[in-house]
Amino acid sequence: MKHIRNFSIIAHIDHGKSTLADRFIQFCGGLELREMSEQVLDSMDIEKERGITIKAQTAALTYKALDGQIYNLNLIDTPGHVDFSYEVSRSLAACEGALLVVDASQGVEAQTVANCYTAIEQGVEVVAVLNKIDLPAAEPERVIQEIEDIVGIEAIDAVRASAKSGIGIQDILEEVVRKVPAPRGNPDGPLKALIVDSWFDNYVGVVMLVRVVDGQLSPKDKILFMSTKAQHLCEQVGVFTPKSVQRDVLRAGEVGFVIAGIKELASAKVGDTITTVKSPAVEALPGFKEVKSQVFAGLYPVESHDYESLRDSLEKLKLNDASLHYEPEVSQALGFGFRCGFLGLLHLEIVQERLEREFDMDLITTAPTVVYQLVLKGGEVVEIENPSRLPDPSKVEEIREPIITSTILVPQDYVGAVMTLCNQKRGAQRNMQYMGRQVLLTYDLPMAEVVMDFFDKLKSVSRGYASLDYDFKEFRAEDLVKLDVLVNSERVDALSLIVHRSMSVYRGRELVSKMRELIPRQQFDIAIQAAIGSHIIARETVKAMRKDVLAKCYGGDITRKKKLLEKQKAGKKRMKQVGNVEIPQEAFLAILQVSDK
Amino acid sequence: MQSISMPVSSSTWQMTALPPLALYIHFPWCVKKCPYCDFNSHTLREGVPEAQYIDALLRDLETCLPLTWGRQVSTIFMGGGTPSLFSAEAMEQLLAGIRARVRLQPDAEITMEANPGTFEADKFAGYRAAGINRLSIGIQSFNAGHLQALGRIHNDDEAHKAIEIAKRHFDNFNLDIMYALPQQTLAQALSDIDTAIAAGPTHLSAYHLTLEPNTLFHRYPPALPDDDTAADMQEAIEQHLASAGFEHYETSAFCRPGRQAKHNLNYWKFGDYIGIGAGAHGKISFHDRIIRQMRYKQPGEYLAQMAAGNAVQTEEPVTLEQLPFEFMLNALRLVDGFDLDLFTQRTGLPLTRVIHEIERATADGLLERDPNDLHRIRPTLRGQRFLNTLLERFLPD
Repeated sequence: MKHIRNFSIIAHIDHGKSTLADRFIQFCGGLELREMSEQVLDSMDIEKERGITIKAQTAALTYKALDGQIYNLNLIDTPGHVDFSYEVSRSLAACEGALLVVDASQGVEAQTVANCYTAIEQGVEVVAVLNKIDLPAAEPERVIQEIEDIVGIEAIDAVRASAKSGIGIQDILEEVVRKVPAPRGNPDGPLKALIVDSWFDNYVGVVMLVRVVDGQLSPKDKILFMSTKAQHLCEQVGVFTPKSVQRDVLRAGEVGFVIAGIKELASAKVGDTITTVKSPAVEALPGFKEVKSQVFAGLYPVESHDYESLRDSLEKLKLNDASLHYEPEVSQALGFGFRCGFLGLLHLEIVQERLEREFDMDLITTAPTVVYQLVLKGGEVVEIENPSRLPDPSKVEEIREPIITSTILVPQDYVGAVMTLCNQKRGAQRNMQYMGRQVLLTYDLPMAEVVMDFFDKLKSVSRGYASLDYDFKEFRAEDLVKLDVLVNSERVDALSLIVHRSMSVYRGRELVSKMRELIPRQQFDIAIQAAIGSHIIARETVKAMRKDVLAKCYGGDITRKKKLLEKQKAGKKRMKQVGNVEIPQEAFLAILQVSDK
Repeated sequence: MQSISMPVSSSTWQMTALPPLALYIHFPWCVKKCPYCDFNSHTLREGVPEAQYIDALLRDLETCLPLTWGRQVSTIFMGGGTPSLFSAEAMEQLLAGIRARVRLQPDAEITMEANPGTFEADKFAGYRAAGINRLSIGIQSFNAGHLQALGRIHNDDEAHKAIEIAKRHFDNFNLDIMYALPQQTLAQALSDIDTAIAAGPTHLSAYHLTLEPNTLFHRYPPALPDDDTAADMQEAIEQHLASAGFEHYETSAFCRPGRQAKHNLNYWKFGDYIGIGAGAHGKISFHDRIIRQMRYKQPGEYLAQMAAGNAVQTEEPVTLEQLPFEFMLNALRLVDGFDLDLFTQRTGLPLTRVIHEIERATADGLLERDPNDLHRIRPTLRGQRFLNTLLERFLPD
């Protein structure tokens, strides 16, 4: 056990985590050069394009250190986005050490800080690494100061590296061997293995990535999942190098995979503890929680006959994404579709993109929303995930909205702009801390405001320099009202919103005016109204188009005329017919384009 | 017993009769290219290679003879570009050459497009003498400012003079007018129309200025009247023309009773046409297929290809799937629509191919039966205004 080092990498998106992981694999000879497709650890295409890792993966590396000893280094890859903080915490729980990789030109970002704090809280040894040291814009001294100021760890000896050019790779591995403690655990005790990640494989079913804390696990062991009490027969164990290699046993301190003929991902929850049926552990490892969806949106097929294939597609995605939730929903306006729950906005975007790209679905997505808690007149507390389901106000005693505590790290120059933005979004400042040239702002913000367009706004007011992390805080009663949109006097349920009363009139006005721009003129006038209850607060009209005809058509080239009409027809096909009005996809997300006062 | 239409496949498809045949001749040069024009026209750098081009046109016609053997040509249209850059002698030579090669209907309508400049107007008498019996004058506007904005090289004065001269020699002539011009008001658009009516043409084409791709206006769009103003203009123009006794018979075409442009009517009735000259398009039916032809567009290349023997750049059969749309694209432009038999005659397809869409469009108020002739289908006023919406329904999926 003393030759094992379990570690992960904490880095902001684009700071070079995946490239660095690839270098380690290459350096330790885990893959032949020809097997190294770019960035091995990010296996999904979308991840490659966005440069983020969604599923934690791992590589068991064999490294001969300068002290002449052979070490078994287990690199546990962690997701790098705010939506996946629980997964990050589980990955870190499987490690004794973490590399804090910071771009030597960009400096520390909020996400990195948050993950570092998680690591430190869990007693993980954090080793600082400056990446991209060979870039002309690199400022190692400034960044070292920043790490010390903001993260609060010593960074003066931070390894200076460039994953891209292969500089400092061995130095980093030496630091891992020297600074990261060897795992501790009882190799002879009852089995306790932490599920770090799980995914679905078409041939073997669910594959679990585990860290064995105590005891050992072999094929033929009957295993018990401590949160669900489910029992399965262990079929295979092994490690990733990153190729999968079968082993006879996984021992305390090791990281590897377990296959137990499980068909549903939901049975192998990240954070759960595996033990054996024969001699079960007394208590589970700490930190397990059920991941709850934070953001909800309706997904509807543009063509109603695609409902079945949308369901099939969601089913397939769900196989590999336990955090995706969906249930059938019927909208009067959009017909049959699904209300889907996501970990966050990025998760929503990824799912939407995969549905469109991999499954070739044409989708209408409704504006993202959050869960509201309602206290009904009788005292009953219910939760709603869809604003249109809000009962009549007379039946509701209180509406509570989720509040998050957000941590924003921003260079001093943009503090003013970021604070203005937070105030517009009904934020309440909790803390403000100067850390060198950066400022760490802590705000309580209504989550509903954040899921709308907060990220985009934050990036734009700070020219991309501000970074954000958040955590759910509480449900809080607020003066919230339902804002309805009526198109030609018909309420379009898919456009309903829950907004704060103080913003309702302004938002309603802006929303209908934005929709007027987005809905093309048709053969009749289209009235777009915003209403709270029966009270109309805003109205706009899309004036009827008076004519749509080609002025000239003689014997010449007709192909262009044909193409023009084909294009026009295809455009209409992508629109959703609500009543007799054709509404383009983007109009259902018009609220995201509404600017604040 | 009810007859059952067999499903049409390319092997069973057959035309029962060939449609009338027209001849289009393209003249690809202009003194200056107008910024709104998307026709195949090229700015003239040196003089027109008149003799060479006429010679090429006649040989071009000869290459078509095997495709139209024995068929009579009912109308001729000389378009451009600016055909009136050519001399009356050249036109005479051309028409004589055509008569020597094809059977021309005795009273054939022979139209030529002319620019209303003094240079052209002086030749009008000669054109008439050469056998041209209908003139189409590209007036566009009588407003000096608008003419300039359109990049026209003539002015309002010349326009009036050209019409004067045309009237002396031609009893049948058309004026082209455009509306919804940059900065144009409703009153100005109507003033153009009223002036045109007063000039006494037998035919008037009133076009909504369209910003076509590949034009200067498309790249640098001028400030145009908004959609509502443009629609007001169209409605008012139609009213003025109606009260002046003009029949509205096609989207943009108006005429004195009996004075329809026969050549254009043939396009709209999905007739056949030979197209000769640079960039000209042709459509020719056979008992077992319909083809479309296109000549090389660049004048220089056209002449070179013609010298080598043949200037047809592309020749493609129209697929059965495209035929209903292509027929409707033309026929539904006509205010009186078409006789249901015409669809079968011109496309070789049974009516069942389109009857469902026709009924649906009728139910939606875009098409109607002519109450005086139930075998006739025509667009309603709404169908005329939203012709694109109507046509989309006939596009193959």
